[in-house]
Amino acid sequence: MKFLRQLFASCVLLGALAGATGAVAADAAPAATKAPAKDLVLKGDAKCTSCHDESDEPKLLHIGKTKHGTVADGRAPSCTNCHGESDLHTNNPAKLKERPPTDRSFAKSSKTPVAARNESCISCHRKDSKRSHWEGSAHERADVACTSCHQLHTAKDKVADKRTQPEVCFTCHKEQRVQVSKPSHHPVLEGKVACSDCHNAHGSIGPKLVKRDSVVDTCYTCHMEKRGPFVHSHEPVNEDCGNCHNPHGTVAESMLKSRPPFLCHQCHTPHGGQLAQLRGQLPLQPTATSSGKSGINYTQARGCLNCHTQIHGSNNPSATNPTPQFNLR
Amino acid sequence: MRTANTHPGFSLKIVALALLAAFGSAVHAADDEIAALIRPDSSVSVGAAGLTGTNSERSWFGQYSGLRRDDTYLLLDIDVIKRDAATGTWTTFQGRDLGLDTREIRFGQQKQGDWKYSFDYNEMVRHDPRTINTGVTGTGSNALSVTRLATPGSGDDLNLDLKRKIFTVGVEKWLSNSLQFEASFRNEDKNGARLFGNGFQCTSGAAPSPTCPASGTQWALLMLPEPINSTTQQFEARLNFSTEKLFLSGGYYGSFYNNQFTSMGATVNGNLGNPVGDPMSPALTPQLRSILQLPMALPPDNQAHQIYLSGNYAFTPTTKANFKYAFTHATQTDSFGAFTGAPAGRSNLGGEVDSALYQAGITSRPIPKLSLLANVRYEDRNDKTPIEYYNLEGTKAFTNGNYSPKRLVGKAEASYQLPAGFRGTVGADYESVDRGMFVPTNSVGGISGLRQKTEEAGYRLELRRAMTETLSGAVAYQNSDRSGGTWLKPNTGLGVTPTSDGAIYNRTAIFPMTMVDRNREKVKASADWSATERLTLQFMAEWGEDKFSAPTTKGLRASYMGFYGIDAVYALSDDWRLTGFWSRGDQTTHIDHSTGYMAALRNRTETFGLGINGKPSGRLTVGGDLLLSADKDKYQQDLDASASAASKTLLATSGGLPDVTFRQFTARMFGKYAIEKNSAVRVDFIHQRTKLNEWTWGYNGTPFVYSDNTTVYLNPKQSVSYLGATYIVALP
Repeated sequence: MKFLRQLFASCVLLGALAGATGAVAADAAPAATKAPAKDLVLKGDAKCTSCHDESDEPKLLHIGKTKHGTVADGRAPSCTNCHGESDLHTNNPAKLKERPPTDRSFAKSSKTPVAARNESCISCHRKDSKRSHWEGSAHERADVACTSCHQLHTAKDKVADKRTQPEVCFTCHKEQRVQVSKPSHHPVLEGKVACSDCHNAHGSIGPKLVKRDSVVDTCYTCHMEKRGPFVHSHEPVNEDCGNCHNPHGTVAESMLKSRPPFLCHQCHTPHGGQLAQLRGQLPLQPTATSSGKSGINYTQARGCLNCHTQIHGSNNPSATNPTPQFNLR
Repeated sequence: MRTANTHPGFSLKIVALALLAAFGSAVHAADDEIAALIRPDSSVSVGAAGLTGTNSERSWFGQYSGLRRDDTYLLLDIDVIKRDAATGTWTTFQGRDLGLDTREIRFGQQKQGDWKYSFDYNEMVRHDPRTINTGVTGTGSNALSVTRLATPGSGDDLNLDLKRKIFTVGVEKWLSNSLQFEASFRNEDKNGARLFGNGFQCTSGAAPSPTCPASGTQWALLMLPEPINSTTQQFEARLNFSTEKLFLSGGYYGSFYNNQFTSMGATVNGNLGNPVGDPMSPALTPQLRSILQLPMALPPDNQAHQIYLSGNYAFTPTTKANFKYAFTHATQTDSFGAFTGAPAGRSNLGGEVDSALYQAGITSRPIPKLSLLANVRYEDRNDKTPIEYYNLEGTKAFTNGNYSPKRLVGKAEASYQLPAGFRGTVGADYESVDRGMFVPTNSVGGISGLRQKTEEAGYRLELRRAMTETLSGAVAYQNSDRSGGTWLKPNTGLGVTPTSDGAIYNRTAIFPMTMVDRNREKVKASADWSATERLTLQFMAEWGEDKFSAPTTKGLRASYMGFYGIDAVYALSDDWRLTGFWSRGDQTTHIDHSTGYMAALRNRTETFGLGINGKPSGRLTVGGDLLLSADKDKYQQDLDASASAASKTLLATSGGLPDVTFRQFTARMFGKYAIEKNSAVRVDFIHQRTKLNEWTWGYNGTPFVYSDNTTVYLNPKQSVSYLGATYIVALP
């Protein structure tokens, strides 16, 4: 815009030298009376762009870079489709120092009810199958506005880009912001997995707005090898991956909520009477004849999974000793 | 939205008028400027990046980023976004991280409101942060060879990778104003290896003589990388129909998993090590060697076909319903292949599971101040997999089970706009699970009891207030109780028998955490305060408690969580913005055990972030952020009177398990300078320090050693710096 400003200053000077009549006022209104305002981007936007333009924040004209600014699409809105006719704002009949707001405004401090704000969007986007369960969803019930997450007057809507989407979600979901920084995590901060890969923020029938119908079905989209059914199943696996894993991140490996053996001991009886122990930890050093079912072997390395390696289920059909019913192989 | 009050003199309109006043030809310049402002942007970014440190010093940093193996990388991003103004047709070609093994390419075209298609190619890699030192060969195949190393650390270093290559194609077509067709196909190839293994001890009840020798304890643990070479495919097609009041979406979703490998196995060469790392003496028995060499199952091919119908209906503008029905037929008939010993007549599991899902919900605002919600969901899973005698434990033969739960979930909620800006919400939740009858020819192992049915009911209260234009807040309380039917005690032989609580069970019995009674409480409070025009603050606090009860005092007893945080955004000026946050999470889980220990596992996390973004000049944009994350896990163990003397000595002498700590500091900075109107340079700098003090693979200098002297290592202190420079040019 610096170029435009310099150009403007030069033109004013040249205009004056050329004897152009009348000074160009700081306010555009006098000039507007001479020629009808011209639409700059959207059909009928002159009503707004005669005052507002790219020097506003957000840069209003940038809507032209977006799907909403595609005027060849007859469904594309004009300013007033979303913001209302807003005659009080446009005409300011009471000559208030601060103009009344538009009929519908979308700023965080807006007095427009969230439902009314969202209706501006839903009236067009209700035909989208991904939004069929918006009503009654956790976000709808919590009065989350579409514009709480989406930016419309920009070519790059942060929430639509998986590299920047988490910043938007973390505005409210603080605990998940912490968890994705833990050593065992999905590559969310690395920009390879987005929140929307697992969640449908616009509503779903699954818990926690998971994208498919259940937690397991959502996880299977990338981890289908866990689906089975297996000869030897581990029921909590079929029930909810979240029984053992926190998909947002943990310190324990494999995003386990806690380390084996403690995780496993929440359901299972142990081998023998050993306490969790570490190799090299005094006073009980292993001997040449120590049992394999030791505190060391179920605490270190993969813990209980050192032997019960097929924790998600085994399709080994062998019905001869030793059979793998304890998910051993 | 902030409007242009501060810049009234520089609107485009005025510029255009000024140009007109001076010379009409210059108007074209303004038109061009406006066209540039409303035209989609295209650009190419090319450059290079370099990293410090060794491969092991950036194993955290490079775990997923694609920046681990090499010291330098090509940086190449392409964004071509074109729109034909006359037809509204968009053409997009995007390439990201093209010089890394995390590259992404997308091409698509669409005519808005008419048709759309796209192709996506995406690579994702996980470089396991740990390095394995081993004598195992054959990684990546399903036939491994194990040879004991003379000493730990004398083998070859092995870094395991897992790479996904994902190709997706999607199409959409509006057939009429009310009818839309959508379809997508996604193919994902997954290749690599992951840390896996097996272990066994002779003697064993599961392997009586002669499978194991009749006497003499001998055991081995092996690290065996699991070969991964599989393909996942998903296809979905649906028709969407919409009228003023009704939306219907009906379709098919098919998902298919194919694994190149059915099984894996290892040849164990020579002797293995005993618990102290010396060669076994007497040497590895033929029986244990044979067991260790038995084939291990790998995930079987499986597939599922789902048809569904979902949608919503607006009875009135304020009363709307939504619904879904889905039926899924899933099968797993992967051949047992090389496995021997399957029940007679079975060459595959014949796995077959049918699931039906029903959901209906309604929301209504009968009066402007009152909002109501009711939702119910019922899921009926029917496992039709044949029951066969797959199991033999000594002389006890038993069958597989099946998993056919029926799950009902319901909720109701009312929300009322109270005076003075308050909104109150009351909600009730219900969930029941009926896991079906236990298969009488199956046998329970490893747990003390089962429950066929559990039920959970709870309520929620929330008070929310937009206190002023600049301050809003909410406080919520949630309480629920889960209980269940009679416990089913495993029989000595097969099946289970319903039994009453208490004395029937051994006092050390443990009951599954998903089935025991539970009382859950949760409180959450948040506030959002625009303290000044420039300063915004967010506060949040959350506290929760789960208390479990079962027929005995062992197993999962309680868990507590707390989370507190503050976020701040401060606009230093119109061009500079400062952000910051701090949060603390604290979670404790109490697990008591039959060995006599009572564990209190505590995880405490503190995270601090600070960021700044600004424009020092019209050409220069800069930004940076700092992130500090500190985690501490405490493994407190106390003993009760039943603990063994050895456990008491161990705990008294060792102090139990040491804390595990993880600290990571990351600083990121960037600067972007516009050289000309259509070109810029960008420099990015990242410095990350990571410190992990843990005992998973070693403690106090003593590594955990597999029976072939394989060890696993992670550099506990890592420091890496990244410097990248790119030249960005806007495309016409």
